[in-house]
Formats: sequence, C-alpha cells, structure tokens
Amino acid sequence: MRWFETPNFDFVSKRKVAYVISGILLVLSIATIFTKGLQYGIDFKGGKEFVLKFEQPVNVSELRSALTDPLGSSPEVKLFGSETEILVRTDNESAINDVENIITSTVSQTYPSNSAFVEKSDSVGPRVAEDLKSGGLQSIIYSMAIIFVYILIRFRRWTFSAGAVAALFHDVIITLGIFTLMNDWVNFSLLIDQNIIAAFLTIVGYSLNDTVVVFDRIRENSIVHKGMEYIPMVNKSLNDTLSRTVITSITTLFVVVVLFIFGGEVLKGFSFALLIGIVLGTYSSLFVASALVVELEAKTKK
Amino acid sequence: MQGNGLKIGLIAAFLAMTLWYLFPTIQYNLEQKQISELSPSDSLQYVDENREKLASIKERTLNLGLDLQGGMYVMLEVGTPQLILELAGENLDENLEQVVATARERALENDTDFIDEMQAEFEATAEGARLSRYFRNDAADITRRSTNQEIVTFLKAQRTEALDRAIEIIRTRVDRFGVTEPSIIKQGTDRIVVELPGVDDKQRVRNLLKGTARLEFRVAANANEFSSFIQQVYNYFDEKAAGDEGDSLNTIQPNALLEVLSPGQSPYVLGYAAEQDTAEVNALLADENIQRMMPRNTTVLWSANSLPFGVSGEEVFSLYGVKEDVELTGEVIEEATVQFDPATNIPEVSMTMNAEGARDWARITGANINKPVAIVLDGYVYTFPNVISKISNGRSSITGVENVGEADDLVNILLSGALPAPLEIVEERTVGASLGQASIDASLNSVLIGLGIVAIFMIVYYRTGGAVADLALLLNIVFILGILAGFKATLTLPGMAGIVLTIGMAVDANVLIFDRIREEQRTGKTIKAAISAGYSNAMSAIIDANITTGFVALVLLSFGVGPIKGFAVTLLAGICCSLFSAIIITRVVIDYLTRAKSDSVNFG
Repeated sequence: MRWFETPNFDFVSKRKVAYVISGILLVLSIATIFTKGLQYGIDFKGGKEFVLKFEQPVNVSELRSALTDPLGSSPEVKLFGSETEILVRTDNESAINDVENIITSTVSQTYPSNSAFVEKSDSVGPRVAEDLKSGGLQSIIYSMAIIFVYILIRFRRWTFSAGAVAALFHDVIITLGIFTLMNDWVNFSLLIDQNIIAAFLTIVGYSLNDTVVVFDRIRENSIVHKGMEYIPMVNKSLNDTLSRTVITSITTLFVVVVLFIFGGEVLKGFSFALLIGIVLGTYSSLFVASALVVELEAKTKK
Repeated sequence: MQGNGLKIGLIAAFLAMTLWYLFPTIQYNLEQKQISELSPSDSLQYVDENREKLASIKERTLNLGLDLQGGMYVMLEVGTPQLILELAGENLDENLEQVVATARERALENDTDFIDEMQAEFEATAEGARLSRYFRNDAADITRRSTNQEIVTFLKAQRTEALDRAIEIIRTRVDRFGVTEPSIIKQGTDRIVVELPGVDDKQRVRNLLKGTARLEFRVAANANEFSSFIQQVYNYFDEKAAGDEGDSLNTIQPNALLEVLSPGQSPYVLGYAAEQDTAEVNALLADENIQRMMPRNTTVLWSANSLPFGVSGEEVFSLYGVKEDVELTGEVIEEATVQFDPATNIPEVSMTMNAEGARDWARITGANINKPVAIVLDGYVYTFPNVISKISNGRSSITGVENVGEADDLVNILLSGALPAPLEIVEERTVGASLGQASIDASLNSVLIGLGIVAIFMIVYYRTGGAVADLALLLNIVFILGILAGFKATLTLPGMAGIVLTIGMAVDANVLIFDRIREEQRTGKTIKAAISAGYSNAMSAIIDANITTGFVALVLLSFGVGPIKGFAVTLLAGICCSLFSAIIITRVVIDYLTRAKSDSVNFG
C-alpha cells in the first residue's frame, strides 16, 4: 500500500490560510486562558482529592450537597470513570485525617446501605503546590531553550530554531486553550497538573520530531538541488517527507486513542492532551514551522 | 553481509542481558501464580518454606510504582519556625514571635527559605538588631558577639541536624510498624519523602509519622484557683450575651460558650465538648480577657480520647486545667509495653522510667497525693489519674487508648524517640491496591491493543518490511522492560503510558527508513542498493529527531517528581531501544532476507 507516493501539494503558498487558522486558534486560546484562567489541579493549586468507591451508583449532586455543610464549602464532586467511583475535591485546609473522616462519616450517614471506601487520595500543601508549579514551568522553558540551541547547532540557522520553537509554543498554547475551554464540558478531568506537564513535554518532543525530519530534508535538498528557489525547495521537502509524517502520525494516534479509551481514568487527561497535541503537532510541522522559516529567511535576505 | 556478525553478536548480548534482568520478574510471577493455585494452608506452608528464596527473587523483580501496586507516598516538612522558637528557649519574646510569624508567611508567598526571610525581617524591624540576643550555644561557639550571619549559618545547621534526626526517627518508627521495602529519603533542606508500598491503614500511618512524641508529665492546676477561673469564664460569656441583647428584639442571647461546652463537676475540668465543637471552644477561649483571667502558670489542654457522655452515649472530649510547667519529659522513659487492664481487658501503655526519672516521679507523686497529674502526649492529655500514693518504682501508664493498634503505635513512638521539631504532612498520595491492580490491567491492555493495531498496520502498509519492523518493536518492549529492571528503575502508570507511546513512536525510525527505501527504488536503484541508500540517507533525520526528543525526556527527568520521573525514564529507555532495534535489528534481518542475489524484500 502506498499513500502520498509522489505528492505535490503546495504547502508553502497555502501558508497565509494556515496563518489565519493558527491566528484564530491562538487568539481564541489566549482569550480563553485569560478570561477563564488556567484550570489548575491540586498539584499546582493545593487541596485535597479523594476517590470513593461505592457498591452501588450514587447521585453526584446529592452527594455534593450532603458534603457541603460538613466540609464548610461546596466541594467538587464528579464521576471518576465508572458509575460507582466518585471524585471529591475540596479546599478544606484541616489535617488530611480530619477531612477524610468528615467525608467518610458523611458518606456512611447519607448512604447507610451503600458502603464506600477511599481508593485514592491526594493532598498537596500550598508550598509544595508552588514548588510543583514552578518546576513544571521551568521544565517547559528549559526544554524550549535546549531545543532552540540544539537546532541552532545542528542546522546552523537561527531561523530554523525560531521556526521550530514558535511551532512548539503554538502547539502548547492551543492545547492549553482547548483544555481550559473544555474542562466544563467533558466528564473527565482536564485540570492542569504534573501529568499534563509531562504530556505537554511529550507533545513538544513529538511535534519537534516531525519538524526536525522536515528540516533535515530541507538541509539535504538545499545541497542536492543547489539551483532551486527557496520556496519550491521547502515545498519539495515537505512533500518528500509527507508520507512519513502521515504514517507516523497515524501509528502514534492509534496508540494514543487506545490509551485514551483503555488506559483508565487516571490517564484520561494525559492521553487527551496527547491526542490534541499530535494532531496539532502534525499540522504545525506541515504548515507553521517551515512557513515561518520561509518567512524569516525572506526577511533576512532583504 | 559484512560486519553483520558483530551486529548479531551485539543483539544477542543485549537480548541475553535484558532477559537475565527480567528473569526474576517472570520467575516471581510464576511463583505467585503457583501459590495462588495451592490451597490456603498449602500456600502458607509453601511461602514459609521458601521465604528466603521468594524474598531474594522479589528483590530483583521490576519495581512497580506506588500508583500500580498501591501504597502511600508522604512528604513531611520539618517545622522550622517551631524549631527556631524552641532554640530561642527562654530568650523568646514577642518581637521574635512576630518576626517568625511574618517570615513564615513571606517564605510561603515568595517561595524562599524561611531562615533567610527571618533574618531579613529581623534586620528590617530594628537597625543593627542582633539575633545573638536569642540564640546562644556554647558547643557551636555562638555567643553574644556572634554576627547575624553566623547565627543564620548556625540555625541552618540546626535545621539540617533536626532533619537528619527526624529521618532516623521516622525510619525506626516505620521499621517497627512493619512495612516491606519502605523508602525514606531526604529532599531539599527541610523535607522527607516516605514511600510505603502496600500500606492501607492511612490514618494510623499519618499519626505515626507526624507525632512529635513529646511526652510530658504535668501537675493539675490548683483546684481553688481553677474552679474560680471556671466560674469567671462562664460568667464572662453570660455577661457578654446579656450585653448583646440590645440588638435583637428582647430575645435573650444564649451564652456562646455554653452552646459548645458543657460545664463539669470537677474543679480541674473546664468543660466537655463534642469533637466538632472543639475548634469553636478554642476560638472563644482565645479571647484576651479570658487569657487574663487564667491563673498564673496554668493552661488548658484537651483530652486525647473521648468519653461516652450522657444517655445518648455521645462522644465528648474534656478540657483539663493543668500547670504550664513540665515536670518530666519522655526522655526518662526506658521501656514501654502494651498491657491489658486485668479488670476491663482494655489496652494501655505501661512505661518504666530510668533511675533519675523514677526519683523525680516519686517526688512529684509524693507531693501531689489526692490530686491528679496529667500525662500529656503531643499536647493532648491521655491520662489524668488521681495520685493515690507516692510512686517510687518509676512506673506510669497511659490509659484511655482506643484499641491495641493505637497502643502499639504509642509504644513505637515512645521508644523511637521524640522528634526534634514537629513534622507536617505537606503532600500525600495514596492509592488502594484494587485501583493499582485496575491501573495495571488497563495499561497492559493498552500496550497489547496498541501493539496489535500498530503491528497490523505496519504489515498492511509495508508488507515484509512491516513484519520486520514489528519484530523489532516486540524486541524493543522486552529491551525497555529489561533496562528498567536492570537499572532498578520503577515502573509507574505514566511509565506504562510511556511504553504505549513508544510503540507508536518507535516505528517512526522504520517508517523513515522504509519510505526512503521506496524513494530510492523509484529512482531505479536495485533493491540492495535502495536498502543501503535508504538506511544511510534516513540516518541523520532519525538521529536528530531522537536526540531532540531525548533532550525533552532528560528535562522531564530532572524536573519531574515521582510518577513523572517514571514516565521520563521509560521514554528515554524507549528512545535508546527503538534506535537500536530500528537501525540495527531490522538491518540485520533485512540483510539476511536479501542475502542471495535474486532475493528481494517487499516494502509494499
């Protein structure tokens, strides 16, 4: 089977369309992030989270109102994967033993015949949350910086570095925007926590992988086809590598979809981030990174 | 084919090594399966007979993270502010308390070191103020003339020492508690990370870890003084209620204190309160006027455990009046054991003091006959017995414990020693064994399904080439697991996700190569020339792509914590293995398939 055997798409001249699409997505994402604020999980905000496993399904809003008074404020209560597993998130600052006691005793009073136990609990203090947040931010910034430098050394052109890193920011910001926007709509958690940072860095790695393969071909073609104009040469490189880009995206998407469906509730947000990121990463290496290189090269030539 | 002998040797050696490291894991799982098939008594006997063998295999198995096997992760922080106040001792004054409180908030806000913030705050309060006013230590050569910088260095050293001691004590407590393969490590300047696989009894562990184990023997408050204080307190709230009356329409405001605290008969008990009301009582009593009424050298402390009260049997806690002076501390305890009250069979902790403690104890009990003494642990009164006669054998006991487990833990805490400063749980994550197993199942399923889909796709798209890539992919997963086992890394749930992801991305190198081979074929090259050119031309893209991803994994490894580290490790291992298998293994196989002149490989 062969797809895109000798494709001849004009990616570069379509870049204006891509700029509009990317521009709209970026503006929407940034607007969403600024108006709604990033939705942090307890890793970055501090707080306590309990997953209760019941024998029979329970009503989420009923449980929420039952817990509101004892906890002193309305907790976040949602299903965690199945009908019988419930996640309770609270910012009650008492010691974890006390909070857990309040929750378990309230639950056993409200549902005397439906026994429940805590199958997972997480508690993060404000100071640790601060540390984790700055660690996450630093890891993203450092990886971007390292990538910039590596591409600069390998390809000897700052335009390549700038194009690659800009495409990465593009991917991460839009993924963040989608996360922020969709958190209220989906029935799994899209809060930003350590797992999501790991997913972002994976997206960065993946998107970069695609971009670097294209860059590598541009470098090769610029030597092999010396006389060729810059834009057609970039276009040819994109077409040369198109089959590979698509196939790798497909195999990676396969496994990420599998992870999303079968990987369990804990990994839902993580695999969702990867899902968006891989689609975006493929798009950005085809339409954003190389287009920016073309743009920047044209600027520097003048 | 030339040079492939070396490659084959390398592959064989690598495979042998990974299988060697994975063997114990396979062996252990087989043993477990065998044990689970035996009858309960037979399996117990089998485990007993092969205890050493099983333990030695287990030690070499692939470590599973707490999120997969279930257990508890706790990060504790040394209470540096409390440690500082303690070090100041008698020199402590309101100024220092104020400085410590401000510095504490500022350190949290700016995410900076508390001691540095304290120095800055202290120097800001008064020009040329010297910390040496508060801290004196002959052993560390800290005198009145020491500079603030010297003091800060001294305080930081004290904190390190406190942290190290705390780690020792926590280790002893955890060992006594009996957890298999606990891990206790220092993190930063003031934190301890404790990992306890398979622990289920969270509440007990939390109390065990953070209990300072400060045992104190105190004398009860003076009966006359304290009963008049009790009178004054209730009167004060009566008057306050009457004073508030004006606002509302002639309704008599209830006495705020009586709402939450019921007065008792004893001249040593301020009252009784239900658990949920104790915080409210504390808030009401914090009133400045109340503090002024308090008899000199007296304070109130809650009981540690509840008494059934009234007809409904509601659980209530007593608020005792005790002297502020501490007569004896836990340091005099030489031995502690759990015993059962012969009459009621209720567990209690019986303690024996050393000679010096026994002498003091005799003096204290002798001087307080017919009065209660308080045995206080970590600020809560456990026992408040009336002294009947002088105790000269150094014996005492803590009664009123709820169950044998709590009694065991108390003995453990008492014998492990007191923590130099209180520890606070700043992060805690627990996963139940059932959820861990569910995660293992879910991620294993994902690996298998993902592997199946990708494998089929590769064969459909690249035919023989795809099948060769699949073989490499399979070996790849074995290699990753072998590397993890070999380096004693821990497989976490994000780590499993990393493996699934690697499956999708590992074929990338082969996709690059095979696409390149197809491209070379189109230029009219023979199959062998195309293969050779395909491999060599695809190489630079493969290397660049993997190195950049490798950098990202390294960044994750250095910044991430816990499970994320596990993800980074598998990602890194995945990158190395997939490079190896995609470049070397597939090459050897494809070379073998094209060894004769007429041979050809179908790349779809």
